[in-house]
Amino acid sequence: MSALQTSDLTAVAAPRPVAVQMTKVDKYYGKFKALSGIDLTVRKGEKIVICGPSGSGKSTLIRTINRLEPHDGGTIVVNGITLDGSPTSVQDVRLECGMVFQQFNLFPHLTILENCMLAPRLTRKLSKEQAEAVATKYLERVHIGAQAHKFPSQLSGGQQQRVAIARALCMEPPIMLFDEPTSALDPEMIKEVLQVMEDLAEDGMTMICVTHEMGFARRVANRVVFMDQGEIVEEAGTDAFFETPKSDRLKNFLAQILH
Amino acid sequence: MSALPIDLALAWDSIPQMAEGLMTTVFLTVLVLTIGLPLSILVTLARMSKSPLLAVPAALFVVFFRGAPLLILLYLVYYGFGQIEALREGPLWVIFGSAFACAVIGLTLNHVAFMVDVVRGSLSAVPAGLIEASSALGLTPRETFTYIRLPLAMRYGLAAYQNEVVMFAKGTAVVSVITVVDLTAVANELFEETYDPFTPILTAAAFYWCFVNLIRLGFNALERHLNRHNVREATVKEPAPGAALPIDGAAPAAPVPPLRRMANFGRRTAPVKAPAPALSTATPKEHAV
Repeated sequence: MSALQTSDLTAVAAPRPVAVQMTKVDKYYGKFKALSGIDLTVRKGEKIVICGPSGSGKSTLIRTINRLEPHDGGTIVVNGITLDGSPTSVQDVRLECGMVFQQFNLFPHLTILENCMLAPRLTRKLSKEQAEAVATKYLERVHIGAQAHKFPSQLSGGQQQRVAIARALCMEPPIMLFDEPTSALDPEMIKEVLQVMEDLAEDGMTMICVTHEMGFARRVANRVVFMDQGEIVEEAGTDAFFETPKSDRLKNFLAQILH
Repeated sequence: MSALPIDLALAWDSIPQMAEGLMTTVFLTVLVLTIGLPLSILVTLARMSKSPLLAVPAALFVVFFRGAPLLILLYLVYYGFGQIEALREGPLWVIFGSAFACAVIGLTLNHVAFMVDVVRGSLSAVPAGLIEASSALGLTPRETFTYIRLPLAMRYGLAAYQNEVVMFAKGTAVVSVITVVDLTAVANELFEETYDPFTPILTAAAFYWCFVNLIRLGFNALERHLNRHNVREATVKEPAPGAALPIDGAAPAAPVPPLRRMANFGRRTAPVKAPAPALSTATPKEHAV
């Protein structure tokens, strides 16, 4: 792992700036410890895949980064903003991170275009024309420009998820968080969503993805993080992660998902 | 009197008087509903607040006024406050001295107490994921409430609200006991004048029936308007399999203007959505249609 990282870094000459820094992060749901002592550093432009069995804390981890879940211990710094729970830090961090959810969560009463225009207009104070231009640009980027005037319920799951990605991109965030973006999709729709995510990765976006798509992880990720029972069990460069897993827990997990 | 218990001539002659009574009923209903809706939303927000300073008084308000019998509440507001001399002498007597104003106060307290749970249920029905998505996009809690939660809650709560409105509209009849001359009071007056036990109240009933059904038609229209994003799906999707191409290719421009108007956040948020027409003009074809 360390060998791979240093070779990565020498290639870029200087270490890239840190995008997300999590230090000893704890999170409790009542007495249940959902995250315990999470240390994770994500540098700009990196693509991190987080995997692990269900209930291992993957989603909780990614949701603490934009404070959909407040953490109870440790520190999280996102692009220089420390998440201390103050409303301004929460607001600022959410402008740094775009998020895509498992259930798409498009606003059903707004058209596709309006879904994409709402946040830029309110938080970036764009004019209607500017917001529409931005929305159209990203909708076309996810190949869904033609459906702009439809409502979410009129699109397929894969289309809705691509809209959700475009909606997040409209805020032009430096970091994108994906929380199991393909888990609610029919198999034939997974590919179109992954394709959009891969395009995004090629453009140098900093991405943190919770996903079970190991093929995607292999193709796109720089590093893969394996979680179990609220802890990071193993973290390695993509090739090392799949070829030479060290812990038994990861070996078992890989044996189960890679038949 | 004929075999019919209804004296048609009396019914016909009483129409102007009844209409006048109905106007009072309608005015009272509309006034209380107009005051009541924003008030119920405010009390609901207090009720749902994390701060016990807000939540506890709001909860007590609901418990008290939902339990308090409306008739007795009206008696107390109209006759009870009149017993307080300081109030009789003071400037507030303009309000408490008027039967109509007392009726508005009593009915509003009762209506709001019932509405709080309607509004609360509707707000809670909005999926948490949508609220999360909105906050994740950087919208403030207030913006999320205005643009996502409230517009969706309105759609979810419309049926329950319609029930409450219909019950309420008919329930306004109790104000006749504190000398407000509404539709029921007119019917009673006519009964006392004519000793006809059926005609006046049946005529009044017909007026109430028409009023309530106008409310129903209004709600139907509102519901169609608010839920056009679902309705359109049903109407478009059915012919779609056979005519997939025309819908994808030619149609998009045509159905847009009504949809643009439907997008309900325009209605509530004129400042932000003000340039709405500009978007429709972006596809000029629509206006030609």
